[in-house]
Amino acid sequence: MSQPLVPDLFATCKVLTGAILWVVQQILLALGAVIPPLKDLGNWLASDPVVSAVTWLVVMTVMLLWAVLINLLTMMWVERKFYSRLQDRYGIMVSIWSLPIWPFNRKDRPTHKGWGYLQNVADGMKLLQKENLTPRGADSAMFHMAPVLIASSTLMIFVALPWSSGFVVAKPDLSLLFILAAFSIAPFGILIAGWSANNKYTLVGGMRAAAQLMAYEIPLILCVIALVFTTGSLDVYEIVAQQERTLVTLGPLAIPAWNLFGPQALGAVVFAVAMMAEMERIPFDIPEAEAELVEGWTTEYSGMRFGLLFGFKWLRMIAGAGLISILYLGGWTGPVFTVVQVAGIPVPIIPEEVWFMLRVYLLSVVFIWISWSVPRIRIDQILQLGWKRLIPLSLLAILLAAGASLVGW
Amino acid sequence: MDWELVAFLVLSVLEVVGSILVVTNKRLVRAAFWLAMTLVTIGGIYLLFGSEFIFLIQILVYAGTVPILFVFGLMLTRTKIMDEPSTEEGT
Repeated sequence: MSQPLVPDLFATCKVLTGAILWVVQQILLALGAVIPPLKDLGNWLASDPVVSAVTWLVVMTVMLLWAVLINLLTMMWVERKFYSRLQDRYGIMVSIWSLPIWPFNRKDRPTHKGWGYLQNVADGMKLLQKENLTPRGADSAMFHMAPVLIASSTLMIFVALPWSSGFVVAKPDLSLLFILAAFSIAPFGILIAGWSANNKYTLVGGMRAAAQLMAYEIPLILCVIALVFTTGSLDVYEIVAQQERTLVTLGPLAIPAWNLFGPQALGAVVFAVAMMAEMERIPFDIPEAEAELVEGWTTEYSGMRFGLLFGFKWLRMIAGAGLISILYLGGWTGPVFTVVQVAGIPVPIIPEEVWFMLRVYLLSVVFIWISWSVPRIRIDQILQLGWKRLIPLSLLAILLAAGASLVGW
Repeated sequence: MDWELVAFLVLSVLEVVGSILVVTNKRLVRAAFWLAMTLVTIGGIYLLFGSEFIFLIQILVYAGTVPILFVFGLMLTRTKIMDEPSTEEGT
């Protein structure tokens, strides 16, 4: 049985917030001896509704920092190093000793033999300094609205996408539908971005995104329908809990009852292919085919707006890999070998978060591997693939799932 | 005042204004944006009625449909694609 490191993100953050606000209250009470109104302010800050309200902000900030700052940067670094190895080169190797400021500017250290992890941070700093250009003739309001729409809807996925049974911001009843709904907003932002920039390359990119949308969104939803035949629920906790049992025992190995092993195998494959189109990885990245359209629908964006649109593709990849592992690969379930007591709090050696991250990163590496090994397909080929292959296959998956649930498999 | 009433009034004002702007706006992108806004605010009213499922289906279906409607609007209305005169002179 698995065990989470953070049983309840809100309760954990409330302890932290309460401690910080208590310190602020003590400072204000000490100052209140001189200025009396500060005493009331301090007591108001430490009252329970205020602590709860501040905790919500802290919870969201923790999730944002975790998802964006840590996982997005790590995933970009993993991709850059991994495709460099596939192309038989080292990739980014700038080390921290190449910084020109004091503790790092040591002459005896090599500057270009590091891991290159901070290269993405440096790229982000460079993008922050760039000018924000608006092309002449562009629809300025819509042009600046599109990155907001894409970035906010991508972050909205992480409101309901759990990293373990406790590490999640909100638990809606229909969390799977919520995640899919948040996924489906971004193509509209892509179309707005492509149209409003008044450039033929962005326009073609946006139109391709709209054409591609129908080709992969329908099989994606059909696969979820096939899955619901087995699970009978749209709640991701319920779906993961059903996969936390043993299917068969082969000697010392206990095969878990993941949805992948069983009548859902076809649906899992179709879902993964449609998800690759959803996150615009290379075989399906025709909306920004940089060989034909300069940079696709992001051509006219500059500075950090381009950085947001470019970087959030990786965030969507993390969310897609997380969704696949929740639906088909058992989510965060996994064995806990030992539980250590640290100051009375049980800390599992391998918590659920680690198992989930392991699946997410392995799946992402598989996606990266595929996308740097195969050529980009044409727009008519992806429509053909979507309408003529994936939709019949997902209908077949529904048929299989319905038949399997009929015979009680 | 009741917060549900306030939320309902805000959502309905946004919805009515958005739906008027959909049909009066000359720029196609803005019309599509207001259409999406109208549909999402209708979803918000469903949420106020306590039907979370219809709200999510509304966003899932209509956020995916608006780009398609937009493409149809583009193909059917013979709108100017770009502001440069050279693209219009060809035909």
